[in-house]
Amino acid sequence: MNGQNIAWSRVGLPRRAFLKGATALGVLSAAGLSMPRAAYAAGGTLRTRTYADIRSMDPAFSQGVVDEEIQALIYNKLIQYKPGREWGWQLDAAAMIEQADDTHINFALKDNVGFTNGFGAMTAEDVKFSFERIIDDALESTNKPDWGPLDHVEVTGERTGTIVLKNAFQPLWSITLPYIAGNIVSKKAFESVGGKIDTQPVATSGPYLHSSWEPKQKTTLTRNPDWKGDPVAFDEIQIFHIDDEKAAEIAFEAGEIDFTRVSLDSVERLKSNPIKGATLEEYPSLYYVWVGMNLDNPKLQNPKLRQAIQYAIDVPSIMAGAYFDAAQPSTGIIAPGLPGHREAPLTGIAADVERAQALLAESGETNVSLAIDVLNKSANVTAAQIIQANLAAIGITLEIRLHEGATFWELGSNEDLELVLNRFSMTPDPYYATAWFIKEQAGVWNWERFRSDEFDAIHLAAQSESDQAKRAEMYARAQDLMEESGAYKFITHEATPVIYRNTIKPALRPDGLPLYRYFGVA
Amino acid sequence: MLTYILRRLGLAAVITVLAVTLLFLIIHMIPGDPVSTMLGPKATEEMRAALEARMGLDKPLPVQIGLFFANMLRGDLGMDVFSNRPVTQIVLGQIPYTLTLILVSIAWSAVLGIALGCYSAVNRNTVGDRLTGVLSVSFIAVPAFVVSLYSLLLFAVKLQWFPAIGAGEPGDWADQLHHLVLPSLAIGLSWVGYIARLVRASMLEVMGEGHIRTARAFGLPERRIIFGYALRLAILPTVTVIGVGMGFLLSAAVFAEIVFSRPGLGKLVIDSITTRNYPVVMGSVLFSTLIFVASTTLADIINAILDPRIRAGK
Repeated sequence: MNGQNIAWSRVGLPRRAFLKGATALGVLSAAGLSMPRAAYAAGGTLRTRTYADIRSMDPAFSQGVVDEEIQALIYNKLIQYKPGREWGWQLDAAAMIEQADDTHINFALKDNVGFTNGFGAMTAEDVKFSFERIIDDALESTNKPDWGPLDHVEVTGERTGTIVLKNAFQPLWSITLPYIAGNIVSKKAFESVGGKIDTQPVATSGPYLHSSWEPKQKTTLTRNPDWKGDPVAFDEIQIFHIDDEKAAEIAFEAGEIDFTRVSLDSVERLKSNPIKGATLEEYPSLYYVWVGMNLDNPKLQNPKLRQAIQYAIDVPSIMAGAYFDAAQPSTGIIAPGLPGHREAPLTGIAADVERAQALLAESGETNVSLAIDVLNKSANVTAAQIIQANLAAIGITLEIRLHEGATFWELGSNEDLELVLNRFSMTPDPYYATAWFIKEQAGVWNWERFRSDEFDAIHLAAQSESDQAKRAEMYARAQDLMEESGAYKFITHEATPVIYRNTIKPALRPDGLPLYRYFGVA
Repeated sequence: MLTYILRRLGLAAVITVLAVTLLFLIIHMIPGDPVSTMLGPKATEEMRAALEARMGLDKPLPVQIGLFFANMLRGDLGMDVFSNRPVTQIVLGQIPYTLTLILVSIAWSAVLGIALGCYSAVNRNTVGDRLTGVLSVSFIAVPAFVVSLYSLLLFAVKLQWFPAIGAGEPGDWADQLHHLVLPSLAIGLSWVGYIARLVRASMLEVMGEGHIRTARAFGLPERRIIFGYALRLAILPTVTVIGVGMGFLLSAAVFAEIVFSRPGLGKLVIDSITTRNYPVVMGSVLFSTLIFVASTTLADIINAILDPRIRAGK
């Protein structure tokens, strides 16, 4: 357990930096990007659930959502995601942050953020250390790509600095600074333990302290008594490790947790038989599910055959059968609310059997027999069975091959792959979606071996494009290219239904993921 | 007796080495790349190569097995690549939860099963015997997951008498016991029926033997005949079954640990197999094998203590 002996000296912000910061803050507030939060000071315990055990408390080795849910409570970032139905960010440890030009971002830290265990106030040196260590090859951080073209961080004062990029990088504001790679750690603390940590934080700065971790059972966080930021609502947050969504639902009904994601097949039951004193809310997810076709496979060389498959798949049936109508069909790999989301796919959402049959006839292919590889989750299996029936309707025989997790995720390198029902996770920037489908990724994460020079050029250019409308157009075009190749049939972005007790007021990202530090009491 | 115990322990060591070697081969032969799973989609080739070297996966399989055993003898089971914690520490942290669950389950089911079995044998062909028979077979027939789900819905959700998740607060024995009730009910119930039927059959066989008739002829009290002479012999097959049953309960514990979101060895094995976390899988498998071999060896030794014919090798 961490000690709670925060001690740091207050160092005033340089006057010029303060003025710039105040100006930026004013502009942001006026633009609605920074919203004051209600201050809660109710006390009590928030009991919630995570689906996996923590792996690392070091932001450089954080494995994703599970680690970040805790890191976001114990560390600060320059900016944090703003809770709500629309993507945005708000200031956290930064008193000011501004994009000076395409490759320079100036920031000034608040003067009231400090580290536990006597590691002092948060300074620009800590920011520099936190960001630069992730791109240091010697550290072998798995999160290095999140920092894209970071060159270095220039320290201009005790609490001021400039993030210097090699080239413009728009995802910095949506997936780098407010997420895993944006967590700021104490340079002195990390250096005192050899430069990296595992599951035990050495010094933290957030509104909660990492009080205890019972492996495979529970993480307990307690209110940081020295926290000087906006007051947090709970004295303690208990995050229980409950793998199974159904077990989590039972735990919720038994009154043992206050918040959890629920399974899609429970949504209808929870709507028709609501749990007393609880609220069910549905959020769209960012995940994307699609049927991919391996363009290098000799059996799938005929473009008309691939198009026939695209038109034969009936997405509404999959939504009803596999997702219980709790999710919406997707139009591409970019979810609604993000730049580049398309209003409609090129090949339609409902099946066009006549057109599919005509395309198959045009292809000249007969007695077509294919196989689809599927991860052995119930929604995937049902979806594959529906696709099997859809293709049977136009005379294509489809064999379903089921795989458990680790085997399935190895399939990318299999050159004999034919069809695959795939699902990728996503962060709130389209750059993260297109990154997996460039030529360089063929046979790695681009399982369809889709190769397009235009697509690669868009991926490269769009990450630097500051004109949001133009950027959206670019990503829409990129998805058109994917679909035109005949290698993709987009299915859904799934959904995130959550349930919470009416005694709490959850703060969620637009994709339904929790931002616990902003949870309040109702 | 000492010779018997030493012989039995030697056999246990051989079984452990063979079982662990076999499991090592099986685990390493199943498809799936641990490096990809561990590093995720953003890993570079250099990072993959470094991790492969760190995990020893770049070495031939026989070398990997040899290294595993050599390190094992030094008490080093390697490091968990995700959390960078020693595997021994991780596994030893989970074992108490699983052992407690198994021991409590087997203890309460043995006590109740033996009592029901004795009652049935002593009251053979009465209504009570038949009722006990029906109950025992029902307990055997109901799968553990059905007991789990219904007990959760009834006792955790509806009545809220017992907690649905977790293993209780560390150091708070009452709380931990409270958390044990439903999982141990779920995995122990079928054993009540099984042990009851086994004890009944053994008791009936023993009760018909000459020494029991002689005891009765000498006018010894019935209670002393049943508990002092008949049960002592009738319990032998039950002890063996309980020893072997520890292995079955280990696998049942996996299920209970997931449904009741309890920490434990079973949950650790499942999680680590899913992620191909080889060091943790092998550490878990080693300790599971040790628990199984230890329980069967202990059952053999107890049998030998109770029955002189066994230790005499007759």
